Amino acid sequence: MNKILAILKKEEWSPYWSGAALGVVAVLSVALSAHPLGASGSFENIGGLILRAIAPTLVANNLYFRFIMPPGITWQVILMVGVFCGAFAASRLSRTFRLAAVPDPQWRAVFGPSRWKRWIVAFLGGIILEYGAGIAGGCTSGLAIAGGVALAPAAFLFMGGMFASGILTAMLLYRSRY
Amino acid sequence: MWDYLLALVFGFCFGWLLQKAGLTKYHKIVNVFRFTDLSVLKFMLSALVVGMIGLYGLQDLGLLKLANITPTYIVGNIIGGLIFGVGMAGAGF
Repeated sequence: MNKILAILKKEEWSPYWSGAALGVVAVLSVALSAHPLGASGSFENIGGLILRAIAPTLVANNLYFRFIMPPGITWQVILMVGVFCGAFAASRLSRTFRLAAVPDPQWRAVFGPSRWKRWIVAFLGGIILEYGAGIAGGCTSGLAIAGGVALAPAAFLFMGGMFASGILTAMLLYRSRY
Repeated sequence: MWDYLLALVFGFCFGWLLQKAGLTKYHKIVNVFRFTDLSVLKFMLSALVVGMIGLYGLQDLGLLKLANITPTYIVGNIIGGLIFGVGMAGAGF
């Protein structure tokens, strides 16, 4: 019992083991439910909900919201609530939970401690990321992992594109520090 | 109702594992693109390997039927991936 507790309290697990466990979760999700384990779609569901409150006709006439990502509290939104709780529980249990404006030491060392710089880059990056996920039909979890386990070619095309441009972007951002 | 409960449970496991693997941290995400920390790849590929074997193994045993596999749109998937990568390397999420 104490051994199990010690494992649960450990700050970091091996990525191999946690990845393998996610593989099991992905199998269970296919076996028990018809929904893919997607992350990015839920933000579009909520975004559509907010936009519909502001501009209802715009959302009603938008083909993307009408056929691909209907606004509302969908299964994926509930999944994201679970993700938040799970990550929160994990960090609380290992006593690593902190509230910080610029939490990452590497970011601070490379780009400085400015909170606005970090937040603006995170916000713009999030927009670009969601836009790309919208075109591709999923993100790292919903397409690359949930699609990949079913051997969907889409997942591997997406991963190829993601790594190609990710490496280039990191090179441009880090320049001589790359 | 049962379906939403499952969503909560799967989400909890998913978030827990991401946090424990350190993939909620900026440096883990961006360093995979700099080849200095391959945690993201280790995580994703072991999830894929276990998931692939699990799904197709269960299907061959007749315990599970794979339905609605993600459709492929070659141009869309690649262009979407290319745009996604820019955002991922920048934001680090």
